[in-house]
Amino acid sequence: MQFLYDAFQALLKAGAFVMLPVIITVVGLCLGMKITRAFRSGLTVGIGFVGIKLVIDMLAANIGPASKAMVENFGLQLDIIDVGWGAIASVTWASPIIPLLILTIFLVNVVLLSLKATDTLDVDIWNYHHMAIVGVLVYFVTNNIFVAVASAAVMAFITFKLSDWTSPLVERFFGIPNVSLPTMSFLSSVVIAYPMNWILDRIPGVNKISMDLNKAQKYLGIFGESTMLGFILGCIIGGLAKYSVGAAFNLGVHMAAVMVLIPKMTSLFVEGLMPISEAATEFTSKRFKNRKFLIGLDAAVVVGDSRVITTALVLIPLTILMAAILPGNRVMPFADLAVITFRIALVVAIARGNVFRSILMGLVVMAAILYAGTLTSPVLTAVATQTGLDFKGQMISSFASVSMTLSFLIYQVFVNNLMITVPILVVVLGVIYYFAQKAYRKAIAANEQGEM
Amino acid sequence: MKRVLIACGNGIATSTMVAMKVREALKEKGIEVKVEQCKLLEVPAKGADYDVVVTTGRYDNTTNLQTPIVSGMAFLTGINKAATVDEIVKALG
Repeated sequence: MQFLYDAFQALLKAGAFVMLPVIITVVGLCLGMKITRAFRSGLTVGIGFVGIKLVIDMLAANIGPASKAMVENFGLQLDIIDVGWGAIASVTWASPIIPLLILTIFLVNVVLLSLKATDTLDVDIWNYHHMAIVGVLVYFVTNNIFVAVASAAVMAFITFKLSDWTSPLVERFFGIPNVSLPTMSFLSSVVIAYPMNWILDRIPGVNKISMDLNKAQKYLGIFGESTMLGFILGCIIGGLAKYSVGAAFNLGVHMAAVMVLIPKMTSLFVEGLMPISEAATEFTSKRFKNRKFLIGLDAAVVVGDSRVITTALVLIPLTILMAAILPGNRVMPFADLAVITFRIALVVAIARGNVFRSILMGLVVMAAILYAGTLTSPVLTAVATQTGLDFKGQMISSFASVSMTLSFLIYQVFVNNLMITVPILVVVLGVIYYFAQKAYRKAIAANEQGEM
Repeated sequence: MKRVLIACGNGIATSTMVAMKVREALKEKGIEVKVEQCKLLEVPAKGADYDVVVTTGRYDNTTNLQTPIVSGMAFLTGINKAATVDEIVKALG
């Protein structure tokens, strides 16, 4: 026992760049992979993380002085930089407790499936990071492994149930049957969109407005190109920091580079984890041979819808504007502007494709994300710094992890007085579960009737 | 060499998985391709430089891109993969 403990401590001390490959290799071996294949996966993931570190450190070094200057020149307190969900996901995967959290989430899925309490089969292991990050942050704050694991399990439960309950909508609106989207980056918006849509339906006049934005892609299309967006934002920040033209351009080029390089590094992560996903798929297909279930997919499959893209293209500049004028917000939107599509896909579906409503609800969703991002930035920055990333005092955030409304709420439940928060959580979940499950069963029956 | 563009929501996760599967599937058919990834938002800007665009999920071709677009959902769900591979081969000409 002592040997294992010492080995683990030595591993921790060696840092994330050693730990990640080792952990992934061990997980691969446990799933029956050959040692060379498992190690290759581990090494690929480690390389991805080195890449992320290089790019993020470069971003912080470049933007740090600029945002300080922005504060001095204009009082524009946008000193927290959005580094993107990819970087945060990498930090999540580099956490020492990640194998425990991943195992918990997977087990929750298997148990729920066995109990027929969910129809979603989620072996999209990469995307477990959305659920795991809450566990990682809770562990950092409370230093209590049980509470951290519990928070990840709750996130998993909520994710699978929400993904069940939204799957009839996904089938009807996006036209993809038999799947569900257990990606919190997609699901979290329902907390705001569902009640808001209900209210908007009942306001006379507003409920009838609709807009035709077909030309949006022609004029706003440039916001969809992250390289251009990064360059433009960099130049604007340089301008606000009263840099010389050359220096502002320089910042623009560096920021455009970040927009391109982070995805490429994150992609290495995904590549490394793929064999693990495949092993999980094999395990579950053997165990649940005759069940008909909803295949859990990355929500990326629905964000190509033209109404989603149009709404996103309008929201990108609006979010940047909101970030500047919302009192108390300190997050500078950057790398995650491109994934606004994920945050609003469900909003568009709930609004039945009405772009005007989607934009309205989207603004509220994004505002909530900006505020939650501001509030959780200290914890997030501290956790990221612990894995070896160096921000030289720059604070970070993203539109993912606990900036997302639902994740933020669950995080708050587990870092505050559990005696008060847990009973509230249980009651709220219980009530929602009762009504939502009933509506879900009805929707499934209706869909099946339609097919017959 | 023919060029294939794989587009997904992020250009990171789903497109990486599909890119690997497309490369393997085409290699089995003896076709060597250059595979690159991007976001769905970037298809109008980049699509013209490729021989075929494979999208993971719904994509409405509102900008009238001339490059053939094939839905790569089958690589994610595992259902009807062979038919999709044939579609890609046909589009590559």
